[in-house]
Amino acid sequence: MTTTGTDLLGRPLTEQEQELLNVYQALKKLAAQPDLPPCAVSNVRKALSSIWQATNDLDLQFEQLYDLGV
Amino acid sequence: MAYSEYWNPKNETLAREDLQALQLLKLRRLCEWAYATTPFHRHRFDAAGFKPEQLKTLDDIRRIPFMTREEWMDSQLAQPLYGDMLATEQRNAIRYHLTSGTTGRTPIRVLDSMKDWDWISEMWCYGIWGFGVRPEDTVYFAFGYGSFIGFWGAHYACEKIGALVIPGGAQTTEGRIKQIIEMEATTVCSTPTYALHLWQKAREMGIDLAKDSKVDKVILSGEPAGSIPAVKRQLEEAWGAKCGDTAGMTEVGTIVIFECSHQPGGTHIIEDHYIEESINPDTGEPTGYGELGERVVTSFGRGFIPVIRYRTKDMIMKVPGSTCSCGRTWDIYDGGIRGRWDDMKLIRGTNVYPRAVEAIVREYVAIDEFQIYLWRKEDLQDEITIKLEVKPGYESEWEALQEKLRKDLANAHEGLRFNIERMDHGNLPRFELKAKRLVDARPVAQYQR
Repeated sequence: MTTTGTDLLGRPLTEQEQELLNVYQALKKLAAQPDLPPCAVSNVRKALSSIWQATNDLDLQFEQLYDLGV
Repeated sequence: MAYSEYWNPKNETLAREDLQALQLLKLRRLCEWAYATTPFHRHRFDAAGFKPEQLKTLDDIRRIPFMTREEWMDSQLAQPLYGDMLATEQRNAIRYHLTSGTTGRTPIRVLDSMKDWDWISEMWCYGIWGFGVRPEDTVYFAFGYGSFIGFWGAHYACEKIGALVIPGGAQTTEGRIKQIIEMEATTVCSTPTYALHLWQKAREMGIDLAKDSKVDKVILSGEPAGSIPAVKRQLEEAWGAKCGDTAGMTEVGTIVIFECSHQPGGTHIIEDHYIEESINPDTGEPTGYGELGERVVTSFGRGFIPVIRYRTKDMIMKVPGSTCSCGRTWDIYDGGIRGRWDDMKLIRGTNVYPRAVEAIVREYVAIDEFQIYLWRKEDLQDEITIKLEVKPGYESEWEALQEKLRKDLANAHEGLRFNIERMDHGNLPRFELKAKRLVDARPVAQYQR
């Protein structure tokens, strides 16, 4: 698989980095949904908080998530 | 199983040029965030004529005004509980902690969201992994788990790494020693003073921790002693284990520096998550490698309360990362945190302010003169002694006074043990102008101005 994205320093993403970023974006989308049951809301937020660490450590994103309760 | 030596190989070995580009990008975004969301920073930036878009190079950080603890305290006093420091609504927080403030000082109160709190443990992961903790380890926390932030982040970091975590919690020292042996702990997290106390108590119990325990790593925090060679040497002999220093602060929520397993005689700065400046404390101008300076921290972690160019008053000496053989490109504080530039003293992990001590001592009419005497017992443990003279005619009050004073001082300082010593009347120095009632006889004081 070829990736087209870059990290914060403009370096091409590896396949693993692209997958991590995809998971992060998917969780953000889920966390923004207003009608999830409490068990899903809380665990999605927890997962998003965890994946934020990995993607931030790897320079894939640097942003805040307070509007999502994270 | 073979593991990477680094928690984050990508950034821990990043070329300095790229590291600085990353720091600049994060700094600009952090300042934009702080300006848009935090009245405290907006007012300060405006007053200094600083705008985030002025950050074109890393050197432009000098356009940003310094942030001080006094400003933070003033903000909290003006608008309890958190001042105008919060970048988001309080309801987004999941965690509250505060600094170990003493009488006469306002403790700094902090809040963290879910992601901030995870980030706090993430910083500990850099340090704990860097010192060699792995999923196979059993990590014992000799820690009280209160509202002081202490080893909280380290606890969650070890869980994240996959190690078996044993929370020591509130129990006797004897109980903790038995648990360390029984649970076959391989790593102990403790302050240097308490690590020594554990060893001494074990000896009284007929236990030689170097032989009878499986501990091969002791992770130290909370006091500068973790990087004092004599202390470290004695602790390593006592435990038969490698001892690694870490240091952080409640204001940023976690550690900023850590000693790697190569033990270079200092602590690496986690430079992809912080900018650490070293400045001349009098002029505010940057100091170079090998020069003593004051540590100024900018944190890219906790967005809830942005910390930008915060003057810590910690005394440090920066040297290049290449002085360590581990391969990390991150700069090092040679000798860790060497002391303080201000009058605050750290005694066995507790902040002691001479002014606060004086406020208590002066409540006693029977006391004529006093001196705060700091010293190091057997070259290992920091001690604080209040030397005092009783006013003529009040001698009969001495017995009751010393006990009550000891308790009052301890109550105002998180239970810290104070020694009380009576001096013959007229023996202590008197001052006509600015009094100097604090004598710091500890070896680390040699670094102080």
